[in-house]
Amino acid sequence: MRPRRRITPYLLVTPALALFTFAVLGPIVATGVFSFFEWDGFGPFDPVGVANYVRAATDPLFRASFLHVGIYIALTIVLEVFVGLVLAGLVTARPKGTGLFRVAFFIPVMLPMVVVAVLWDFVYNPDFGLLNSTLIAIGMEEFTQIWLGDPRFALPAVSVVSGWVFAGFYMAIFYAGFRGIPGDVLEAARIDGASEIQTFWRVKVPMIRHVIEIALLLCITGGFQAFDLFYVLTNGGPFNATEIPTTYLVRVVFRNQEIGYGSAMAVVMTLVVLAIGGVYVRLRRRTAVETVS
Amino acid sequence: MKQRHGPLALLLALGLIVGACADDGATDQGSDTTSSGDTTGETTDAGEDVVLRIAMGSPGEEQIGVWEQAKAAFEEENPNVSVELNFQDDDLYQTIGLLNLLNGGEAPDIYFEWAGARLQSRYDEGFVADITEAVDGELGSYFDEGAFNGMVIDEKNVMVPANADVTTVFWYNTEIFDSVGVSVPTTWEELIDVSNSIKEAGIIPIAIGNKDLWPVGNWTSHMVSRVIGEEAYDQMMRQEIPLDSPEVVEALGYVQQLAEAGIVNESVNAIDDNEGAQLFFQGQAAMHPIGSWLVSWALEEAPDLSFDYFNLPEMPGAGTQDSVIGVSTGFVINENSEHKDVAIDFMTLFSSPEFTSLMVDAGGTPIATGAFDRDDIDPRVTAMMELLQGASALVAPPDTGYDLEVADALYAAQAEVLGGVATPEEAAAAAQAKLDQ
Repeated sequence: MRPRRRITPYLLVTPALALFTFAVLGPIVATGVFSFFEWDGFGPFDPVGVANYVRAATDPLFRASFLHVGIYIALTIVLEVFVGLVLAGLVTARPKGTGLFRVAFFIPVMLPMVVVAVLWDFVYNPDFGLLNSTLIAIGMEEFTQIWLGDPRFALPAVSVVSGWVFAGFYMAIFYAGFRGIPGDVLEAARIDGASEIQTFWRVKVPMIRHVIEIALLLCITGGFQAFDLFYVLTNGGPFNATEIPTTYLVRVVFRNQEIGYGSAMAVVMTLVVLAIGGVYVRLRRRTAVETVS
Repeated sequence: MKQRHGPLALLLALGLIVGACADDGATDQGSDTTSSGDTTGETTDAGEDVVLRIAMGSPGEEQIGVWEQAKAAFEEENPNVSVELNFQDDDLYQTIGLLNLLNGGEAPDIYFEWAGARLQSRYDEGFVADITEAVDGELGSYFDEGAFNGMVIDEKNVMVPANADVTTVFWYNTEIFDSVGVSVPTTWEELIDVSNSIKEAGIIPIAIGNKDLWPVGNWTSHMVSRVIGEEAYDQMMRQEIPLDSPEVVEALGYVQQLAEAGIVNESVNAIDDNEGAQLFFQGQAAMHPIGSWLVSWALEEAPDLSFDYFNLPEMPGAGTQDSVIGVSTGFVINENSEHKDVAIDFMTLFSSPEFTSLMVDAGGTPIATGAFDRDDIDPRVTAMMELLQGASALVAPPDTGYDLEVADALYAAQAEVLGGVATPEEAAAAAQAKLDQ
């Protein structure tokens, strides 16, 4: 059924397009424009060409922030995705009676991240926090550490918190994936003598491969978006050991009032994430072609 | 069924776009306030409705209550005036919040600011009114002359004093000192010796939480000024001499001594200022170097704690050895305000003994004379004021008296040295390299 006036569809799309332009496209374009200026947010714009990008490329802390977020993502792939996969496997191996566990694992996902960060700040407190107190109580005082104050442990400590929160999220995703596997496939595997572990790794996991790929993409892109956990727990410390692009960018823009440089950093970060997304799409296409052939 | 979506779609599209732009229109009108003096619902004519806007970082619930009382009293005396109070998060206000407000459509008529470099910046940007005439009148009668130190620019009074805080002194647990058998140190060497004695008794000598870098930063910056002298400190903070100059490196060497002696809590860089204070409140630490605001806090959280203070002991160096690190704060009348007279009247009311006394009750430390006409004020609060007023030299803290980037670089260097992850030379070089970028 075609509209009477050809302009009608465009008019119907206009409100959404206006909102998208105002809330998304406009700020993106503005950020790109600001990146070529030196600007404190209030005074005059001072054009500097690509100087902000040169500075970003030569800023050792900005480069280090990408290394830190890469390590964080690598750790969270294990602590969130892999652990979530194992948890999903456990709750689907014996479906009866696991409802309580599924809920318990998912509860941290529902907590606001700031609340989680404050909670774990107490857990990690080196003087009277839960972790060190427990270690002392069970006679393992030699294992106590200044968890968030030691550059060796701060980043892994933050990653553990992230795993505690999101393992349940990925468990729920994989659980849904496992539930979609035809029962006769699993039955056939059992009849052939496969154990639960063999069935899990050789039948179930390969059959939800596409779900795992999506989960990995979510984990990687989510890692680049991390901010509140780092801000509350360490704010980039100790000694910049947990400085990631987002915390550094917020400090440059909101504390140092360098909007231009911060915008350039944001553009660089966006390009990095887009590049990763592009690699993912290419790999998926190649995998799909190989599967078909 | 005939299609009649075209006109409806057009109306919907136009309606949504106009609606989205409506706020921009109002903002544009608001930004004209500074030139026309008018916004919707207010004019400057006597008897016409006036909206008086006041902005500050949040002073806490109890002091907010005092502001609300002042607002109510002022509105009762001036029925045509409506007072709007804007309390922002402290960190937000100090960084981008205030500037956003001042450059926005509904800029405050009165705003909180720190004396020193920040006040000078606001003056240079045109946001500071001359209130000399008011200070010569009733408003000035509520303050001692010394209260206006640091609040005069180009021979003009530009700020109504609010608080004066000593940024860092050593608060010490008198019972721990007595039980260990040590007395208040008067020199750097004595401080190290006293701390070692306390450490041998199994108590943390000095506890402080430096996750946000400023607690140790302020303390050790005072040490730096004592070693290199106030003038060189000022030059360093203005980058007239680099952070990695030999004299600054030498000063950071004393921070290294603290680290090597192991007399500061191991968790120093992992916990924030609140957690550091808790170690002191719970009697786990003998000393806690922090500002004058600790008094009201300790009275509330640790009423049984027996504590007193001493200023940073004398250090080997070129600085004035009884200097105090501190900051004065106050309220500025916006030069762009169309209601300066009304603003001055409000600040006169708020600075009166009645409201000054209420602020003291609410845990504040105002420097209006009404605060000291009471005999129920904690002697340690009075001592802080006397310390400030009697100081031979007043050192400005890096993060309120100078450029934030320089302050952050210095704070980071001091944290690295105290944390034992860098030598003074390395930390200072890294800090200067950061600034040279």
